[in-house]
Amino acid sequence: MNEKLTLTELQLIIKDSLYMALPDMYWVIAEISEIRENYNGHCYLELVEKHPDEISIRSRVKAVIWSSRYRFIKSFFENSTRESLREGIKILVRAKIDYHEIYGLSLVINDIDPAFTIGEMALKRQMILKKLEEEGVLTMNKELDFPLVPQRIAIISSSNAAGYDDFMKHLTGNSFGYVFYTALIETPMQGNETEAGVIRALEKIAGHLEKFDLAVIIRGGGSQTDLSWFDNYNIAYYITQFPLPVITGIGHEKDLSVADIVAYRSLKTPTAVADFLIECMNNAEISLIEMIKKIIEKSRLIIEESKIHIDSSRLKLIPVARMMISEFKEELSGILIDMIRTGKEYIMRAGLLPVNHKSRLISGARSNLSARVTLLTGKKQSLINHSKNCLNNMNNKIGRFDSSLKILDPENVLMRGYTITSLNGKIIKKSVMLKKDDKIDTRFSDGSVSSKVI
Amino acid sequence: MTKKEFSFNQAVNEIDKILQEIESGVMDVDRLSVEVKRASELIRQCQKKLKSTEEEINTIFKDLT
Repeated sequence: MNEKLTLTELQLIIKDSLYMALPDMYWVIAEISEIRENYNGHCYLELVEKHPDEISIRSRVKAVIWSSRYRFIKSFFENSTRESLREGIKILVRAKIDYHEIYGLSLVINDIDPAFTIGEMALKRQMILKKLEEEGVLTMNKELDFPLVPQRIAIISSSNAAGYDDFMKHLTGNSFGYVFYTALIETPMQGNETEAGVIRALEKIAGHLEKFDLAVIIRGGGSQTDLSWFDNYNIAYYITQFPLPVITGIGHEKDLSVADIVAYRSLKTPTAVADFLIECMNNAEISLIEMIKKIIEKSRLIIEESKIHIDSSRLKLIPVARMMISEFKEELSGILIDMIRTGKEYIMRAGLLPVNHKSRLISGARSNLSARVTLLTGKKQSLINHSKNCLNNMNNKIGRFDSSLKILDPENVLMRGYTITSLNGKIIKKSVMLKKDDKIDTRFSDGSVSSKVI
Repeated sequence: MTKKEFSFNQAVNEIDKILQEIESGVMDVDRLSVEVKRASELIRQCQKKLKSTEEEINTIFKDLT
């Protein structure tokens, strides 16, 4: 083959050959490794197929979606998958081979099947979930105790995200007046930086655990709904291992990302997260109020029961008390009557007696006294007179007795010749008083002699 | 946060315990007034925690971010 070809001629042969060999549209599975839109609305991509290790590249091809098709494909794809066409996702494209003399081989894409991507993402999610489950960590965050008062909130979000503003507005403007404390740890919420950023944020919060009740991961909704950034094994793993409950609100209406699935609780929007937290606070307050009510109610009941008890005791006591009272009454009235009587007597004595009788008593006493004095004086005189008479009489009598006595005096008798016989000092008046051999004394006027009875 | 932090959970547990005692009917009227007083103090603190701002925490949070 000696014929020489120009480069262009060669390229044209290649082109013709390719077109002849591959005239149709082909459905091709590939992963987007690069994607960009240019100023006139065309979309340029680089598609790859990776080895099973997911790192090294097995094949690569350029592709283009012309702007006329791109508008439809893009919106249909995003509406269906709620994902944007971006690097890292797998797509099934309908394309034909194009060959350009300058730019070489490329695929001109005229359709993309979103169902494939949905399936792929679901599969990827399933793989991650399966792995987490096998590691035994899948539900770890869900198993944490949720604080009664989720008041101190670590927020992982980006400050320029609409979702963060919504969340803050909703939270701080709650109609109950609950207080929340928030700390924002900023990080990109989509794109390649998401994984590293979210993990860094979680690590930062973990360094201040005692300051927080929980962490929330929030992101605005709208078109920015690339859920698959959170279909990420590392983010999910960190959440499962996080010591505080994590609540996600990363803005997806239908599907849950792996991060949502492993989080303590996932809600569709940041606003819903705020609502949930307010509701928790409200529940805490309601349970407080319930307890107050119960305490009041039960306390009343106890007091009421005590009252009833007292009342029933009172009722039982009344007859007893009445009886006791009437007994006391009787006793008292007896005492009272006595007292009245005694009192009257005293009053009589103390009042009437002096008034009516004092003068009588005094005059009586006086006359009595003077009568007695007179009487005594008379008696005194008559006593004196009488005593004198008595003494005189006595003197006369004694005089008479004296002469009689003189006659009777033993001495005088003895003088007249009488003797007095005595035995052992005892006067013998009868002869029978003596017996033989008694030694007797016979007294004469001039002396005594002793003799013996024969 | 060096001072002893008020714990809502602990307070609620204590209130609950008091309530249970009251409900069980083992509490006499003398203790009742003491315990009810304690419960109402705890409830007051709980409500305060829900609705009054502690500037201290705000400051700490500002330093964090």
